[in-house]
Amino acid sequence: RTVPSPVDLARSVRAARSEAGAAFGDAAVFLERRISRPRHVEVQLLADHHGTVIPFVERECSIQRRHQKVVEETPSLAVSPALRATMTAAAAAIARAAGYTNAGTIEFLLDEAGQFYFLEMNTRLQVEHPVTEMVTGLDLVHWQIRIARGEKLTIDPLKALTPHGHAIECRIYAEDPDNNFLPSPGRIQHLRVPAGPGIRDDSGATSGLDVPIFYDPMISKLIAWAEDRPTAVARMRRALGEYVVAGIKTTVPFFTWLFSQPEFEGSAFHTTYLDELLRERNGRPFVETGGGDEDLAAIAAAVRAAMSPRGAGASRLASAAPPDPAAAGLGRWKIQARTEGLR
Amino acid sequence: MRYEVEVNGQLRQVALTRRDGRYVAVMDDREWIVDAAQVGPHLLSLLIEDSTSALNGGTAAAVATGQAPAGRRTSREISIADDAVRGQLVFGIGSVPLAVGMNSRRRSGRSADPAHIGAGPQRIVAPMPGKVVRVLGRPGEPVAHRQPVVVIEAMKMENELRAARDGTIAEVLVREGQSVEAGTLLAVITSS
Repeated sequence: RTVPSPVDLARSVRAARSEAGAAFGDAAVFLERRISRPRHVEVQLLADHHGTVIPFVERECSIQRRHQKVVEETPSLAVSPALRATMTAAAAAIARAAGYTNAGTIEFLLDEAGQFYFLEMNTRLQVEHPVTEMVTGLDLVHWQIRIARGEKLTIDPLKALTPHGHAIECRIYAEDPDNNFLPSPGRIQHLRVPAGPGIRDDSGATSGLDVPIFYDPMISKLIAWAEDRPTAVARMRRALGEYVVAGIKTTVPFFTWLFSQPEFEGSAFHTTYLDELLRERNGRPFVETGGGDEDLAAIAAAVRAAMSPRGAGASRLASAAPPDPAAAGLGRWKIQARTEGLR
Repeated sequence: MRYEVEVNGQLRQVALTRRDGRYVAVMDDREWIVDAAQVGPHLLSLLIEDSTSALNGGTAAAVATGQAPAGRRTSREISIADDAVRGQLVFGIGSVPLAVGMNSRRRSGRSADPAHIGAGPQRIVAPMPGKVVRVLGRPGEPVAHRQPVVVIEAMKMENELRAARDGTIAEVLVREGQSVEAGTLLAVITSS
């Protein structure tokens, strides 16, 4: 329980003892500092078997839904070079004290006063490791293997701490954001993954794949890198607009909305920011279609029905092979327009 | 040919004719010329020219929603997927999904608009296999828009299935602890 002021302390301890005694048969009470509106800031490490520990520039992972990260980025706008030096040194000290080897991450909570507190250590490579790779040019997975083979770390420590540009990652889930983020398993009928400058997609999905129900419903990690954060945000928006996953619902429309929120652009958030924003939204759909999109869909549906070999009203997809444009007598301009439309 | 298409719960009437190998589409007193090709099993490529003569150059609103000004051609790619659970198609325009129904004899109650008057009963259906961990209402009880009705455990999490509109619980067909398949009917809510 949260104790808002010293006046409430005695009463709260009594209530906690009583609950604990009843539930566990042990009335011990732990006191922890309450940190309000913290940022989740973490430090990636590599440590070899020869005593070298290299900390990396921090990652900001405060955009979370129900305590699960959905967006991660590096560097954190809330971390100055001085604070970075202190936090990464602390992280490396923890790893050295524990005799830790290979890849790991120290997670901290950073409060509004610039104080940071140890949260936990993840003794493995994390989902969000690509953003660190994008701003340092280093391959963390490759280094995991090299370290395991007994090789010495030859990374310049300054290079690991100095970000080049800014990288952001979105965890794309097979969930329906307009239905309380309910998992949306099923078959991916068509997949078109974005690409282009600064865009990386680490994907676990292919067209035709049934998204399984047995694990986390993550289907890919979409990462955008650019020389500065505004450009990275703009690239991510562009990439999200191009991400086509047909056959299941995904959180892409949710990210499209999130990346246009002013607090997000200003990096003014903390670990409960997203939960609060979603509560305020109260289930209003993320997929907002303009009249133009709906007109287009109506026309496309009618045209498709007219083209279908079974004629009007067919609800099955035509399985015709792609037509040969030259045979259909299309001129060069039309072929070009179609190709550009499909990019 | 006249087609009745349901897009995101709204019924649209589209009249198509063929002209010089292309389609002329007329809808809501506007006209488009459409060149269409099915370029993949789930991919439709359209070259569309807005040829509405009533609007000169398009209104500001039309430009804002991405409609081409009169006479301009745009090239669009549309993905088409089957949504067997809900008996509809999902068209993807870029990353924006739209629910599309072609059969005008579809039963009522498919409207996505929670305020739709006279809609049929809501069917709360399991979207995936799982286990019913909580039933939050009984027949006869009223429910509000977005009120959770059944909780299903699946994919490492508990998922609340909610009423899409205000109504009254008519039937609850499962009990706590029961395993369900995707598509299993869990509860029926009638409009109050």
